[in-house]
Amino acid sequence: MSAVDQRVAVPLRLRSAVVLGLASLIGLMMLGWPLLLEADPTQRVDPPFLFLGLLPVILAVVLAEISEGGMDARVLAILGVLSAVNAVLRGVSAGTAGLELVFFLLILGGRVFGPGFGFVLGCTSLFASALMTAGVGPWLPFQMLVAGWVGMFAGLLPRRVSGRWEIVMLVAYGVLAAYAYGLLMNLWGWPFILGIQVPGQDSTDLSYAPGAPLLENLHRFVVYTLLTSTGGWDTGRAITNALAIALLGPAVLTTLRRAARRARVERRGAVSSRDVAGPTLP
Amino acid sequence: MFELREVTFRYGDRPVLDRVDLAIDHGELVLLAGPTGVGKSTLLGVVAGLVPAFTGGTLTGDVVIDGESVLDRPARERAHVVGYVGQNPPAWFVTDTVEEELAFGMEQLGLAAPTMRRRVEETLDLLGIADLRHRDLRTLSGGQQQRVAIGSVLTTHPRLLVLDEPTSALDPTAAEEVLATLTRLVHDLGVSVLVAEHRLERVVPFADRLCLLGAGGQLRVGDPAELLVDSPIAPPLVELGRLAGWSPLPLTVRDARRRTADLRARLGPPPVVVPEVPAPESTETGPEVQVRRLLVTHGSVPALRDVDLSLTPATVTALMGRNGAGKSTLLWALQGRYSATRGTVRVAGKDPHRLKPDARRRATGLVPQSPADLLYLETVAEECAAADRTASAAPGTCAGLLERLAPGIDPAGHPRDLSEGQRLALAVAIVLTAGPPVLLLDEPTRGLDYPGKHALAEILRGLAADGRTILVATHDVEFVAQVADEVVVLAEGEVVSSGTVRDVIAESPAFAPQVTKVLGPGWLRVDEVAAALASSDPTAAEVPS
Amino acid sequence: MRLPRDLHPVAWWCWAVGLAVGASCTTNPYLLGLLLAVATITVFACRGDQPWARSFRLYLWLGLVVLVIRVLFRVLVGGNDAGHVLLSMPEIPLPDWAAGISLLGPFSREELLAAIYEGLRLATLLIAVGAANALANPKRLMKSMPPALYEVGTAMVVAITVIPQLADSARRVRAAQQLRGGERGRGHRVRSVRRLLVPILEDAFERSLSLAAGMDARGYGRAGTATAGQRRSTGALMILGLIGICVGVYAFLDSTAPRLLAWPMLALGLVAALAGFVLAGRRVQRTRYRPERWHTTEVLVALSGVVVGAGLWLVQRGEPLVAHPGVLAVPELSLVAVVAILVGIAPVFVAPPPLTARNRAPVAPEPAEEPAKVAA
Repeated sequence: MSAVDQRVAVPLRLRSAVVLGLASLIGLMMLGWPLLLEADPTQRVDPPFLFLGLLPVILAVVLAEISEGGMDARVLAILGVLSAVNAVLRGVSAGTAGLELVFFLLILGGRVFGPGFGFVLGCTSLFASALMTAGVGPWLPFQMLVAGWVGMFAGLLPRRVSGRWEIVMLVAYGVLAAYAYGLLMNLWGWPFILGIQVPGQDSTDLSYAPGAPLLENLHRFVVYTLLTSTGGWDTGRAITNALAIALLGPAVLTTLRRAARRARVERRGAVSSRDVAGPTLP
Repeated sequence: MFELREVTFRYGDRPVLDRVDLAIDHGELVLLAGPTGVGKSTLLGVVAGLVPAFTGGTLTGDVVIDGESVLDRPARERAHVVGYVGQNPPAWFVTDTVEEELAFGMEQLGLAAPTMRRRVEETLDLLGIADLRHRDLRTLSGGQQQRVAIGSVLTTHPRLLVLDEPTSALDPTAAEEVLATLTRLVHDLGVSVLVAEHRLERVVPFADRLCLLGAGGQLRVGDPAELLVDSPIAPPLVELGRLAGWSPLPLTVRDARRRTADLRARLGPPPVVVPEVPAPESTETGPEVQVRRLLVTHGSVPALRDVDLSLTPATVTALMGRNGAGKSTLLWALQGRYSATRGTVRVAGKDPHRLKPDARRRATGLVPQSPADLLYLETVAEECAAADRTASAAPGTCAGLLERLAPGIDPAGHPRDLSEGQRLALAVAIVLTAGPPVLLLDEPTRGLDYPGKHALAEILRGLAADGRTILVATHDVEFVAQVADEVVVLAEGEVVSSGTVRDVIAESPAFAPQVTKVLGPGWLRVDEVAAALASSDPTAAEVPS
Repeated sequence: MRLPRDLHPVAWWCWAVGLAVGASCTTNPYLLGLLLAVATITVFACRGDQPWARSFRLYLWLGLVVLVIRVLFRVLVGGNDAGHVLLSMPEIPLPDWAAGISLLGPFSREELLAAIYEGLRLATLLIAVGAANALANPKRLMKSMPPALYEVGTAMVVAITVIPQLADSARRVRAAQQLRGGERGRGHRVRSVRRLLVPILEDAFERSLSLAAGMDARGYGRAGTATAGQRRSTGALMILGLIGICVGVYAFLDSTAPRLLAWPMLALGLVAALAGFVLAGRRVQRTRYRPERWHTTEVLVALSGVVVGAGLWLVQRGEPLVAHPGVLAVPELSLVAVVAILVGIAPVFVAPPPLTARNRAPVAPEPAEEPAKVAA
């Protein structure tokens, strides 16, 4: 496992990368709309339910683009298996306070199979677990998107790091990803959970106030997220991630790399000749 | 119609197939045989187009269907001509009900919905599985699963059906069902079949031609009776035929039985039944394992009913019965995982279910059906070291046992890369490190060829000679004839017969090995016949067995 | 007579999304309560006996939790506006970094009502989605995925199929690992997780590779008919569409941007992206065995949802006081709103009875076999 393979299972074409980038930008705007919206403070602002319907469409377009031109059967099978394992891990760990194992395999999978695979795996894992544990709801597309980013950035980490440093890097990333995921999902839920300040009606001091200056809203949001999640769930998730990656990471990486070696997609050019430069079996 | 021309295949610099030529005609059943690990699966993969795309390696030569080269086409583009059924069908199922599984291939080919509907019905009838149509695939028996797997490729109407060891995991009855299905396809539909199988005794009677793949990768193709004369792997029937000097060789028991008059005369009476082991009572006091009126239930379903069993040290006992007859449950009950709902289980005088895990491991060693479940480390050496540590055995105990069981395994290799037999040996070594006097094995012969089974039989006989008590669950009759002293037959969780191998087999012809079927009760193994011939007729002893 | 069958899952989702849209248009507690009643009655009348049908209770609980959280937050960090004070608590000002915010303080009836109105809206939205979850068969939903998502859909089908196998595998490996004893000493718990996880993963991957081989050998992923030009136009449409949506969303948020860039751009972008999506689905020629059919019933169920959504949207536009009543007076109702919501109960009368274990079982066994068995 010292030799880190440079190739990845689902290569991201330039076109797919552009689509993924655009969709990420849109997603970010949809998550952070309370901080971006310039509204008239005297008017009633409803949470933009439009976004709840729009994001699934965007996700569908991205997934269609990444799998455009066909996904290799081996990659697909591994994607299915990893999504299932992830869904089970999430289901198993959901009940235990803060012990969410969702990201552990997602990060390792993204690391081994590359950013494109990581993104798709993040989406499918959350989707599969939602189907399993009654988690389908308006939040799901946003969770899928953010989990997709977690997997994607795991795949974009520097490839040349290996051995113990690789684990250190992944642990650090795992902690970062846990907090970032919590923060982004909080940003999404904030206007829904606390409501939006409506002129004429009162609301909480932490609610989103349309039309208020950006700093004011940011401040409210930061206090909200510190109060609600950072002390509890997010930190629990970060610790679980770090521990799981540090302790199980090396063994699971070996296993994943063995699978990756066998699931390597030969490029068309190589197959058409009669000599396939595949892995040599011992 | 289908041809391999000068096909050569190598992994790195290890040659697997060497200039293989093979032509398969319409409506032919061709059997592919050879020792384990020579590359039967590779050859089938080349035909289906999965090799080298899924394995890597270098392929030269040509694959031709109807005069057109398909070498460059991947498996998916051959799916409408070649139907491929791999080992272990449950791992192949994409969907979860029978009907959807049958339709999957057709959906990929883009057939019209009414056509699909019609073909699914036809296939259900053809394979006799119409009553299973809505069933969950995981709830099917092994034979049913195999038939669904065959059906799932038949719906695309391939002209060549390629099967990799379709009966190796099945009990004799289920294997018969599958083979009957195959012959029906060949006779009624004119489908050509290429089947790899290491239990030749099952398939040879149905085969039109035999291909023998040798260790160097050369393929010999010809009439089964001719090729088997000097084949390195041969079912007991063929060994018997060689010994008796019959020509052409008999391929069915019926065929052989009609020629036995002369052989019987030379043989004389069957060997007298002498206890093959020194009387166990002299070394130990009483049986090591005692089971009395045992009832084990899974939920409310009884898995074992009123089972009585006693195992004496230094004997090998075979546990036989259909898939699902309760063999595994009995083994796990002896190990202590399942508790007795009623009745008693005593291993060395104690109830294993009450023992602590450590004490259980010192009392009984169980090798489960898939030995790979035991392995979790990255190298063989680490596995052995971990086994020594957990058993508090002297360092090197496990490695020493492994060297005795299967010499020459690379300690730095990955356990998952070992061959089936080597992996089994590693699991046995790990389990034996704790030094249990009782060894239980669940279906150990799966994936082993004749030499592999011979080797395993020797190992088990050796362990028994050390004074261990051994219980082997298996449905391989020939293996039982080689290894066991006693047989216990289970059906629906009850013991239906038990006793010495000879007695039990004389009572139930269905469980008889081929030699018994030909020569009648009293004869079990080819080496007995050889010994008898040697004593009565010195010239016959030169024939190798 | 209505024969038992599964309704097209997309029809149920249309209906539920209609209810959800309706819920998002109002904070009137009476209307929301009516919507909740419609969703709940429909679920109990039309759901089957599959595991996902039982998930509806979870959503009801979730709705309640959302409501309670909403109220608790209001208590914790609520403003201190005057009103009918229900509960007076000491006010705890937070340190400087949270300047201007104080915890607890007096809690008024108006605050409570506002929290409940808003919370009820979110809870109703969740429960509407929960209703779709309980009613639509997820496996069939995966199968009616649009062709462009075929790969991802197949991966999901594989995942759903693999989950029970993973459970089997875990059980087997656990039993097997007991046969060789555990490591002692520090960190043995972690090592025991690893001993479980590694064989299960190895097993799962081995399985996945043979599954992949099996799928390949059965024709999965056969080359499609899309030409290079078609593929280029697919990509171009998708990218242009996403750019359009991007600009549209930005203009939607930034009120200083020209209005022409907001809704029209958003719609245009969406159309282009969807066109690219549909075109991407053209590349492969696959068919469906027993395709999900869209009968009149499906149309009626989907329409009933649309009526609820559109009706409440019109109410929001035309009668803002009915849609968003203040907290000072008793909320009013209007005939249009009530009728629109009541249309949502149509599936109870229109949808076919669900498939259950009883009516799915094969028709009674052939009588000829019974006596024979008894005789034997």
